[in-house]
Amino acid sequence: MGQALKILLSVDRFLLWLIATVLLASVLPATGSAVGWIDLLADLAIALLFFLHGAKLSRAAIAQGVGNWRLHGLTLGSTYLLFPALGLALVWVLRGWVDPALLSGLLYLSLLPSTVQSSIAFTAIAHGNVAAAVCSASLSNLAGIVVTPVLVGLLMHRAGGGVAFSWHAVSTIALQLLLPFLTGHLLRPWIGGLIDRNKAILLPVDRGSILLVVYAAFGAAVVGGLWTRVGPGDVLTLLALSAVMLGAVMGVNVAVARLAGLPREDAIVLLFCGSKKSLVSGVPMAGALFPSAQVGLIVLPLMIFHQLQLFLCAALAGYFARQAVRAAVPAGDARDPLPRTAEEIAAVAHGRGLAVPEACLPGIIANLAVLDTHAAILRDTAKADNR
Amino acid sequence: MQATAIAAAVRAGRVSATEIVAQCLGAIAASGDRLGAITRVLAERAHAEARQVDAAIAAGHDPGPLAGVPYGVKDLFDVAGLPTTAGSALYADAAPASADAVAIRRLRDAGAVLVATLNMDEFAYGFATVNATHGTTRNPHDERRLAGGSSGGSAAAVAAGLLPFALGSDTNGSIRVPASLTGLYGLKPTHGALPMAGVFPFAESFDDIGPFAGSLADLAVLWDVLRGDADGETEADGDGRSLRIARLGGRFQDNADPDQHAAIAAIAPDAPVVELGDVARARSAAFLITAFEGGAVHSAAFARGDALRFDPATRDRLFAGALLPPALYREAQAFRRHFVAGMAAIWADHDVLVAPATPCVAPPIAEPTVAIDGVTAPARRDLGIHTQPISFTGLPALAVPLRRPARLPLGLQLIGRPGGERTLFRCAEMLEERALTGVSPPAGAYQGIGL
Repeated sequence: MGQALKILLSVDRFLLWLIATVLLASVLPATGSAVGWIDLLADLAIALLFFLHGAKLSRAAIAQGVGNWRLHGLTLGSTYLLFPALGLALVWVLRGWVDPALLSGLLYLSLLPSTVQSSIAFTAIAHGNVAAAVCSASLSNLAGIVVTPVLVGLLMHRAGGGVAFSWHAVSTIALQLLLPFLTGHLLRPWIGGLIDRNKAILLPVDRGSILLVVYAAFGAAVVGGLWTRVGPGDVLTLLALSAVMLGAVMGVNVAVARLAGLPREDAIVLLFCGSKKSLVSGVPMAGALFPSAQVGLIVLPLMIFHQLQLFLCAALAGYFARQAVRAAVPAGDARDPLPRTAEEIAAVAHGRGLAVPEACLPGIIANLAVLDTHAAILRDTAKADNR
Repeated sequence: MQATAIAAAVRAGRVSATEIVAQCLGAIAASGDRLGAITRVLAERAHAEARQVDAAIAAGHDPGPLAGVPYGVKDLFDVAGLPTTAGSALYADAAPASADAVAIRRLRDAGAVLVATLNMDEFAYGFATVNATHGTTRNPHDERRLAGGSSGGSAAAVAAGLLPFALGSDTNGSIRVPASLTGLYGLKPTHGALPMAGVFPFAESFDDIGPFAGSLADLAVLWDVLRGDADGETEADGDGRSLRIARLGGRFQDNADPDQHAAIAAIAPDAPVVELGDVARARSAAFLITAFEGGAVHSAAFARGDALRFDPATRDRLFAGALLPPALYREAQAFRRHFVAGMAAIWADHDVLVAPATPCVAPPIAEPTVAIDGVTAPARRDLGIHTQPISFTGLPALAVPLRRPARLPLGLQLIGRPGGERTLFRCAEMLEERALTGVSPPAGAYQGIGL
């Protein structure tokens, strides 16, 4: 759990930045001629982000995990069939009860690809099949570059949840998403190593670009009256709806894994990769797909969902890790003490048919004391330096 | 002298294998084994194998990439016709092995000539090569110092120039520790990558064999020969892409020589620091698994009442291991699976991890201790502080010597993903090209076989 929390906290710092950006956009939105500049910068940031997404995506990682097609099929099915179906159902059921723009946001998040980094990290902590997670999550992101805009075009147009989306956006998609993504990916043989080596430097570029898009989106939304339209009640509603969506998808994935007879390691991949939605893809994609004034409302549900999925997955990963360790250790005799005294040693040795010569006893006692210390360190009941 | 250079000369007919072996045996005899590295000289066998190589050449056949190259093996490999002692007096009169270990057979098929068996800690249990029967192996760079262990004889013989290469075994660091202390390349492969048939076991969860060599070219040839036609190697991204190097942090950084810190900083100045999770727990789990499995190997001897025929220092450690509760062993194995699973994600972002191979230079024989976390501990037990957690994961690790002529050797270990040995060789080549690493022979080393 410690490791899961560490990842959660490091991700969470970015969420604090996001919240700060939303607050800044609310208090100090871009106005006048600045709007044009900010929009232009945000457009460039979106193209840059997708250029980097493309350059970072490793086909080798996908190739290595390919073979487990049933698992990848189920994961992609969860991301691009189950989630959208659930999104459509929610829009249909709640129409008239919840702000249509927020419902559009919910539907939009249901169409997004899975996350890469945290899906892999949580799968690793939970003792899942990491190679398959790398492949599944990367595959989902690769597919998302085409599938998500297509789904947005088909479903959001039909569901008509109060948000404008027109097929004119196709040219925007091609120019802002597809072209930079493909350029980045095709240049990967030359720049991939540079990008992989300089992840620490690129992270602020990546994150800064997302914050810029968020600032532009929320600034425009605030000027358009976002906070007069959305209140704390709406945020709570979104939180509840996110929980319903996440719970339902996770529940179905657990059931599907059982029905399909997936091994535990693969079931964990389906659970984590199949139930997550990518903020880093979703925010810039929204920036490209929707009019600036609507992007803020569209990505608000995604930001809330993202927060919730991180908390839940961190807790689940920790639980699975403990479960894996427990499963390997029979409960009854797990805490059998080591023999320490001459009598205890003689008894254990006798039970195993071993003869303990008198001359060996002091050395055996000393060595068992060392091993007992190691047992305590293993069980985390002693400080490592008490050797 | 490099193995590849000898083989090239023999294959080209510039020198015969018989001459090479005679020179090698002469050098061993002349050394008088001051280093305590050699346990048995196999002159008769060596001459016979050399004659076979020469006969093959005379018949127009290629004897293989190691034609006529003399070598030695740690005293735990089966050598046909000899008892496999594992460095213990207990097995000095054991029934002779009926066949060579598979690794020796592969080397022989490649033209190499076995000339000696080499000293080790009894049953490979120790990092010092202090052997009750054969004495302590001395470091060729300073004979008052340990050569490290448990494959100390293999390391010392190669470092002293008596053999171009040697085989050792590595359960918790027994190749990388002596390689670091004697300034050689030493490879611990991915667990299970090299054949263990005919090798006396210590702790099967971690046991591996591997070569010591003075050059990377030799190491690459040895790797191919020892692998045989085995498949399963995975090199995800292949050559051409620059390597993504990371440094291991935590205890690896806390217990290191300033020169190792400087070298790691020079190798990868901007490399991220990676934590391996709870390394202290991993090392304790490794200790417990080793003790339990090691104890199990020798339980029959203890049951027979043979305990007093063991080296006392090894015996009591193994006996204590034989008394561990099986549940504790399972607990340690469960933690191991947890630890290994947690490491898998590292390879998405990195190709090679760099860490010290030993926490310090070779300790003096008169005072065989190391300082771990500021506390003095026995070298025999704790020189492997940095290697043990890596063996625990089964990952391949290559010990590389820092370039430090006329100074006591000190090594780093390059750690790769499972099956990533060739990536480690590529990384080591890059470091050698940058003059950061490389072998610096000790003063007075045998200058090599004349070709």
